[in-house]
Amino acid sequence: MKIVEISHVSRIYKVGDHEQKALDDVSLELENGKTIVILGPSGAGKSTLLNMLGGLDSPTSGTIKIKGKDISTLNADQLAEYRASGVGFIFQAYNLIPTLTVLENVALVKEIAKDPLSSHDMLREVGLGEHMYKFPVELSGGEQQRVSIARALTKNPDILLCDEPTGALDTETGVMVLKLLQSMAREHGKTTIIVTHNQNIAKMADVVVHVKNGKIKEVINNDKPLAVEEVEW
Amino acid sequence: MLFKKLIRTIGRYKAQFISMIIMVALGVGIFLGFNIEWKTLEVNVAKAFEDTGFADYRIVNELGFSEEDLQKVASIDGVDAASRFLSVNVPRKDDEDIVMLTVSENIAVSGFKVLEGTAYDPEDTEGLWISERYAKQNGLSVGDTYTMVYKNIEFSGPIRGLVKSGEYMICLVEKAQMMPDHEKNGFVYVSPAYIKAKIGMTFYPQIHVRSSLPKETMIERAEAALGKSYMIVDKELVTSYSEAHGEMTEGKTMAALLPVIFLAIAILTMITTMHRISISEKTQIGTLKSLGFKDRRILRHYAAYGLFISLCGTILGVAVGLGVGYFFVNPNSVMGDYLDMEHWELHMPLWSIAVVIAINVVLVLATLYSVASMMKGTAAEALQPYAPKAMRRMWIEKKKVWKNLSFATKWNVRDILRHKSRSFMTLFGIVSCMLILIASFGINDTLNSYIDDFFENSICYKTKIVLDTETAGDADVEALIDRYEADWTSSMGIQIGENTYAMEIYGLEHDYFRFVKNHGEHIDLPDDGVLICERIAKKEGLKVGDTFTVSVYGTTEKYELKVADIAKSIAESVMMSDTYAEKLGVQYRVTELFTNETEIEESPIISSTQTKQALLDTFKSFSELMNVMIVMLVFISVLLGIVVLYNLGIMSYAERYRELATLKVVGFKDRHISRILIDQNLWMTILGVLLGIPAGIGVLKILLVMLASDYELTLTISWLTYVIATALTFGVSFIVGVMVSRKNKNIDMVEALKVAE
Ligand SMILES: Nc1ncnc2c1ncn2[C@@H]1O[C@H](COP(=O)(O)OP(=O)(O)OP(=O)(O)O)[C@@H](O)[C@H]1O
Ligand SMILES: [Mg+2]
Repeated sequence: MKIVEISHVSRIYKVGDHEQKALDDVSLELENGKTIVILGPSGAGKSTLLNMLGGLDSPTSGTIKIKGKDISTLNADQLAEYRASGVGFIFQAYNLIPTLTVLENVALVKEIAKDPLSSHDMLREVGLGEHMYKFPVELSGGEQQRVSIARALTKNPDILLCDEPTGALDTETGVMVLKLLQSMAREHGKTTIIVTHNQNIAKMADVVVHVKNGKIKEVINNDKPLAVEEVEW
Repeated sequence: MLFKKLIRTIGRYKAQFISMIIMVALGVGIFLGFNIEWKTLEVNVAKAFEDTGFADYRIVNELGFSEEDLQKVASIDGVDAASRFLSVNVPRKDDEDIVMLTVSENIAVSGFKVLEGTAYDPEDTEGLWISERYAKQNGLSVGDTYTMVYKNIEFSGPIRGLVKSGEYMICLVEKAQMMPDHEKNGFVYVSPAYIKAKIGMTFYPQIHVRSSLPKETMIERAEAALGKSYMIVDKELVTSYSEAHGEMTEGKTMAALLPVIFLAIAILTMITTMHRISISEKTQIGTLKSLGFKDRRILRHYAAYGLFISLCGTILGVAVGLGVGYFFVNPNSVMGDYLDMEHWELHMPLWSIAVVIAINVVLVLATLYSVASMMKGTAAEALQPYAPKAMRRMWIEKKKVWKNLSFATKWNVRDILRHKSRSFMTLFGIVSCMLILIASFGINDTLNSYIDDFFENSICYKTKIVLDTETAGDADVEALIDRYEADWTSSMGIQIGENTYAMEIYGLEHDYFRFVKNHGEHIDLPDDGVLICERIAKKEGLKVGDTFTVSVYGTTEKYELKVADIAKSIAESVMMSDTYAEKLGVQYRVTELFTNETEIEESPIISSTQTKQALLDTFKSFSELMNVMIVMLVFISVLLGIVVLYNLGIMSYAERYRELATLKVVGFKDRHISRILIDQNLWMTILGVLLGIPAGIGVLKILLVMLASDYELTLTISWLTYVIATALTFGVSFIVGVMVSRKNKNIDMVEALKVAE
């Protein structure tokens, strides 16, 4: 089943008189349950594409269908609902709320998601069972990122969107986070889209999408994705 | 270069800068405005008194003073000038107007200043010099003929000049009157020659004296010179003087009270806001440092922000201050209605300029203080983003209920507790807003209830007849009492120790006059004791059951009186029944009658009549004065509330921007996020209102204590005041809450989350 269908999507930023094409007539279809890595140099349009899939931004033209439903025409409230249940986000910056405890940071999504999972269970699954009552500042970067993974998964979304999830972490911690991401995605059957400019991460993907200058250069299907441990970092 | 940064920074924090400028302008403006108010009065009132030779002492003898008496007084060592003086209330012919016909033998004492027409001539046997204000209100001009009737004699003549007089600065013809009525009342000066020509003689019951001698010395020397003790009234007891100075004192108290709140808010707002701005500028400060800018240079740069704000605020504030000052004291203001004087130029105390400069210095120092804490340590440390204090678990989180709270509630609670200074400022703003509202509506309630007590409960007659005590014989008075089925009163001057008061004896058969305590509770006039008013009770330290001695002015009579109860009274007086007076053997002459008749026939023994309605009308202008003040204060407090809350709201919003963006990304709807923000606002408002009510009552109590020498007020706050004040405060808070929370529609999620902190 096609979970993502992007057709002829452009995103144009107006900077003064100048028009900046962040995405230029992009079309792409992605299968359910796969791990997809979007690769490309800085400024290629990777984040723009991901934000569009996540309902943070709308295309200037073209349509984006998620599970057959067009999200490019939704209004602000409908988009919020889509974000609440349809997608989970993991950013380079962990974007946790500093005044809420780890558990509260995760549990807050239960107030809005349609079919949420247990936040306690999820925190235990990401290995933070011990730290539930701490505040984010009391955790390391890797631990904070795990909280944001737990928060994304608690919403029980179909798609996980990760923008440079390891960008702020050292290699070792990064590998651990990726391992967690991969195993969680498999276990819960999520479609995972990871934006990165780290070539190595691409080796664990089912599909690798190369983006450059706002266009998709190539889409490579990887028949034998490697497990995180098998990748040479 | 740094100048460009200054301009851009101002652009970036527009809302904060504007609200700080407004706060400073309000603080400086209110401070200057209230000080201009009393200073303007002080200078112009003094000038008016000086211009017209306002007398320092008045020696009173109902039987009149002779030429010789005057000479004796004038030659007292320390007396600069003296004049025999006469002032009687007389009606205008065929009219209800009452004017005060006045003669001052030596016009340099208790005289007047001619604004229009010819100068005063003591030999003029025809002309009148008439109150300019009254003339204008009645379409009279120089050359017109004006006629009064006194004891069946017509006093008539051409108007020679339109004048103002310090003596009649507050032109009241009746002691229960609170506000002058310039349409119905005025004064008319004539020369001694005029009186002589009309009635063939002169009669002066007063000698007015200009002297800088202290009161005791004056009394001693006058007694020695005249060989007899007369009642000597010093200027402090003359309405024009005491009330005008009362206004100044009230102005000074307001000037000492209200601006403090605003200045405190301005300075606190400056500190909190500059602190927030310097937090968000922290990495920039670090960058400047690492580029090699010296600390001093950077500090100077940020000091420029503070200076910019305080200077803009001060300039605006001076304008606001002049506006506020003018609003209160200009010839067309209610004060202008009250005080009839020529000059109204605005003046401000010199020291207030020093205070304004000091405020500017404090504001700049506040800015420096906020920035300096961000620059501590090495450039590398300064480059580190501001690390908020680590979260600590609070006592409340250990409670069971905490667990069941929604995350929004927890978030808000922690946010409030974490940003203590911001929360404190918010609370302070709401409390101040509520406090001013409660105090200003409360003073209105209090005065209204005072007026109600007095006029609804105390005055039950329709007309008051003022008798001419010189011509009215006892038999005539008896006849009038029968004819109009009247109650009566007699008023005389008394002394308790050194202090002068009035003693009133009442013959009340119809209860046309009643005595009240707090909240209109009636007291009957006892037959074995007197009622004293609250102020006498306080000044003389008298309680119910005490006895005290009074001596009647101009006589050697002394009486022992027992305090039966304490009542409210407009004048400072001792009130007794005729029965008690007769028991004690007090000599009295009836001075006024109270009746339910409205048609009173003219008679030589009646000097004037006054209806209850006329008296009530004078209160209308008094309440107007109050209303103007209240509208102004309500406006100020609402503005204050909006500015403080908006500034803090924006700050809180800016600080939580990332968190709000995160909530949005996670899937919270705008409405939901708005509600969270408004919720926090609401809690603070509830708390602020709860604290503001007692604070307002407290301020009101202080105000009443300060007004206590003029009025016998009982703290009264109607439920409507609580409702309106609360509604207004919530309204302000809600409007600001909506204004701030609407902004979250514009949160750019992509932008907000792009860069790591
Ligand atoms: N708000 C904006 N206004 C104008 N141009 C923008 C804006 N956001 C992105 N762009 C432009 O769109 C293009 C794509 O940006 P995008 O953030 O998608 O790149 P990216 O591939 O994620 O790069 P990186 O790997 O550096 O994160 C860039 O050229 C960028 O300059
Ligand atoms: Mg990017």
